[in-house]
Amino acid sequence: MTTTASVVAFDQVSKAYGSVRAVDALTLDLRPGETVALLGPNGAGKSTTLDLLLGLKNPDSGTVRLFGTSPREAIVAGRVGAMLQSGGLMGEVTVAELVRLACDLHPKAHRPSEVLSRAGITQIAGRKVDKLSGGQAQRVRFALATAGDSDLVVLDEPTTGMDVTTRQGFWATMREQADQGRTVLFATHYLEEADAVADRVLVLHRGRLLADGTAAEIKARAGARRISFDLERTIDEAALRALPCLTGIDISGRTVRIQSADADATVHAVYGLGVFPRNLEVAGLGLEQAFVAITTAEEAKSK
Amino acid sequence: MNSLIKLELTRALRNRKFLFFSVIYPSVLFLIIAGNADSTTRVPGSDLTLPTYMMVSMASFGALTAVLMGNSERIAKEREGGWIRQLRLTTLPGRGYVLAKTASAAVVSLPSIVIVFAVAAAVKGVTLDAWQWLALTGAIWAGSLVFAALGVALGYLASGDAVRPITMITYFGLSMLGGLWMPTTTFPDWLQAVAKWLPTHAYAALGQAIEQSRAPHVQDLAVLVVSFVLFAGGAAWLYRKDTLKA
Repeated sequence: MTTTASVVAFDQVSKAYGSVRAVDALTLDLRPGETVALLGPNGAGKSTTLDLLLGLKNPDSGTVRLFGTSPREAIVAGRVGAMLQSGGLMGEVTVAELVRLACDLHPKAHRPSEVLSRAGITQIAGRKVDKLSGGQAQRVRFALATAGDSDLVVLDEPTTGMDVTTRQGFWATMREQADQGRTVLFATHYLEEADAVADRVLVLHRGRLLADGTAAEIKARAGARRISFDLERTIDEAALRALPCLTGIDISGRTVRIQSADADATVHAVYGLGVFPRNLEVAGLGLEQAFVAITTAEEAKSK
Repeated sequence: MNSLIKLELTRALRNRKFLFFSVIYPSVLFLIIAGNADSTTRVPGSDLTLPTYMMVSMASFGALTAVLMGNSERIAKEREGGWIRQLRLTTLPGRGYVLAKTASAAVVSLPSIVIVFAVAAAVKGVTLDAWQWLALTGAIWAGSLVFAALGVALGYLASGDAVRPITMITYFGLSMLGGLWMPTTTFPDWLQAVAKWLPTHAYAALGQAIEQSRAPHVQDLAVLVVSFVLFAGGAAWLYRKDTLKA
């Protein structure tokens, strides 16, 4: 295998549930050593994408290849470790027993004691799996995903249920995985998480890839602000539309709603028009609205 | 896969409630039912004494409990909880999970059979030839596979809150109507006609044939084989359906 070979290759992959297209003609390519965030709001198709990637679901059309083979073959070869959002754990056994099982089942397994300490669960190794808190259970799932020397680690919303401190510790552990040359792919709906950890961010919305770039690029696009104010008197709409850094504008009567990539510059320019905006509000866009903003921009571009 | 079997077994042996009901309870029930019977009364329609007759019924009942009760509920729970999905991300072959469940149930069902035999021989003086003891153990143990397959099928068929009542109804229905708790000869005629087609009835009849040192009825063997094919086929079909849904 050459170094430029794909770790993950999706070619025009689609999956529908009834009339809902969960994943729509998705094409993507992950390279060795990348840390990639799959970012999108709930229902964007992240989990379905990961299920397809891991061979838990079969695509309606298109092909999914891992290391040039089928997902199942890659798993059997011990090249993939995965942590599912909905990954249940076997009950009535201890954490240590479960981790030992994961190690036994991995062709390139680490020592169980190593896996436990890396996941930070050595202290709870003797505890029954059913008695764990949400964050502890996530760490156990992480341990199962890293039981062996896999080339690709896939994590579906790994920090769900973790408090802030645990979350930070978790990402530190994750970065170690990436530093050892592994390809790491994780799904999240937190832009900040993607920003802090990933060197490549894929934005998924309604099953389609909206954007693919560095965290900084995505942040700039999704970091838009919403500005709204009322005008004292009506002024020329063209002047408003010519304001700098606009990504969207809606004028109804004297109420103006603006989406801007740089709120400071836009507001400054509003005052420059010689109008006095009343009830001025500047607010960050939620990720979901930011996605809508990006979609609208994409659609406008394609016209 | 051996490591999963080992872990399933550890877990089963740790569950005291499950062990009590599948290993101890059948022997206790045997003592209650056969306790006051003198060892010369014959069961109507059979030349076996009540203790001898009930020994096979209770050993069969114990094996049935061990293979049916634990698995159906655990499979349904682990299917919904996502443990099966997680296992699919390991090198474990797809059928490995079901095989591990069945194997661990089989290990628990063996002591439940042997303990009933030991109690019957020690307390109620049931005597049989050496080959009969061995053949009985083998037949009841092997026959429990039919119900292990049924347990797996139920685990993949029902889900959530439904699995327990469905398993219970199946379990008690098969036990009672199949004559594991009382000889079917005490049933009204119409019920006897139904009972003789139940796999549990055929299952116990197999053991009773061995006690009487005669060949088992062809009908009983046929019922067991057909049941096994139906249950195992159903389990395989439901399993595949579940895998595609994931």
